[in-house]
Amino acid sequence: MGGMTTTAVTATPVVGFEQVTKSYGSVRAVDGLSLVLRPGETVALLGPNGAGKSTTLDLLLGLKQADTGKVEVFGTSPREAIVAGRVGAMLQSGGLMDEVTVGELVKLACDLHPKPYKVADVIARAGIAQIADRKVNKLSGGQAQRVRFALATAGDSDLIVLDEPTTGMDVSARQAFWATMREQADQGRTVLFATHYLEEADAIADRVLVLHRGRLLADGTSAEIKAKAGARRIAFDLDGEIDEVPIRSLPFLTSVTVSNSGSAAGSGHTIRIQSTDADATVHALYGLGVYPRNLEVAGLGLEQAFVAITEAEEAKQS
Amino acid sequence: MNSLIKLELTRALRNRKFLFFSVIYPSVIFLLVSNQTGTVDGTGLSIAKYVMVSMASFGALTAVLMGNSERIAKERENGWVRQLRLTPLPGRGYVLAKTASAAVVSLPSIVVVFIVAAVLKDVRLDAWQWLALTGAIWAGSLVFAALGVAIGYLASGDAVRPITMIVYFGLSILGGLWFPSTTFPTWLQDIAKWLPTHAYAALGQAIEQSQSPHAKDVTLLVVYFALFAGGAAWLYRKDTLKA
Repeated sequence: MGGMTTTAVTATPVVGFEQVTKSYGSVRAVDGLSLVLRPGETVALLGPNGAGKSTTLDLLLGLKQADTGKVEVFGTSPREAIVAGRVGAMLQSGGLMDEVTVGELVKLACDLHPKPYKVADVIARAGIAQIADRKVNKLSGGQAQRVRFALATAGDSDLIVLDEPTTGMDVSARQAFWATMREQADQGRTVLFATHYLEEADAIADRVLVLHRGRLLADGTSAEIKAKAGARRIAFDLDGEIDEVPIRSLPFLTSVTVSNSGSAAGSGHTIRIQSTDADATVHALYGLGVYPRNLEVAGLGLEQAFVAITEAEEAKQS
Repeated sequence: MNSLIKLELTRALRNRKFLFFSVIYPSVIFLLVSNQTGTVDGTGLSIAKYVMVSMASFGALTAVLMGNSERIAKERENGWVRQLRLTPLPGRGYVLAKTASAAVVSLPSIVVVFIVAAVLKDVRLDAWQWLALTGAIWAGSLVFAALGVAIGYLASGDAVRPITMIVYFGLSILGGLWFPSTTFPTWLQDIAKWLPTHAYAALGQAIEQSQSPHAKDVTLLVVYFALFAGGAAWLYRKDTLKA
């Protein structure tokens, strides 16, 4: 590997979407999406069902054609990148060939890859050595996912695309899977995965893309996404009748909910606040002359950040 | 591509039911029917010779039609076709591998009937006739391989078996593979003689009569092949855009 190659790889984005649109009838699944993936990134694609994640991956892999805009993978068409063996992919909708053994299927994937690994290595890495002689149609959901992973990593690909890869796996299998995946990323590969499990995005990805209604809502590290949604959650109780107006005008708030806590004599309230600067908000709260009880200040998980961002977007649209 | 053909073939050879119906079953019917003596009206061929060609054609038809249509429909539905599109395998490689592996199974379907006929029923033909029969029936089976692919891309996973069965039995019976179509009422004979299976069996019968196959039958098969292959290609492209 000379310096020339490295320069060339850094210069060309791994994936480039330019104003990409894809509709099904009147539904815009992907709506003017632009994004660039750089070599070596581990990127999570996050979004609720129907956000356009699967369509985005299908466009990226050349399984669907964009209505407008441009999709490039390593500076070429998706199909060319696949033919060159630069992309390994595992789709939720990707099925397996029935009535052959796991080992035979992995061998096929290695035979088809231009830069294949040894069959035994692929099997070992995917953790399917014990089921290599089993027929594909006799596998559990989690085992089938591992076989799909083996097919996606049958050769030395530069980009690995995974659509909800740990669906159907139990917790330990999920952890083992991500350990394997990290090895792939540590070897300098670019990894893009769509997931429902937000803790996975938080723990594994160094960049998170939040997709909603086919558009990119947020793009940053998971810490940045959390900050964008209001980084901290503050909760406390107030007794008696309260005046909501000064509470709602506390500084650095992104959201406030007030509910009856139903405690002593039914007159208490619980207030939940999200704040981008919890210290300043709490300081101002005491400045109001109230006496908050059971005060809690906690970090916002990515899941709540994600819900906050999509809710804010939906409020904007309605 | 070669490795996919090999794997498809491994799978076909492991499927005992499929092997029974495409390789053994035609010979069994041949033995049951060819006991009768005499000739078939209008051909001058002994019943054994006539049925031998019918059953060899029937076996080849089974091998190329039955497995593929159902597999393709099911694999479109379960996503294996999509998974293959994420490999460097060219798009048509999938269909070609299926057709090639079916062609490998259809050869023994033909030859086993011939061996059974020659050894147990004393059917005698010139060497060139045996070779020409094998070649013609094998090549002719491509027409039905294309039909199988077209059905696989046309039907859903649930509907594919009944549709294949109707087409399979309809073509076999009406085309005269089971009973000579000369035993049909005239109106049915008029329909039967335009079917691809009728032209297919007629290829072999002409060779047994030491004639070259009739131009009408060859033309008919070529037209059907163009129709089925064209339809399969069109449906394949439609499916690829949709998937």
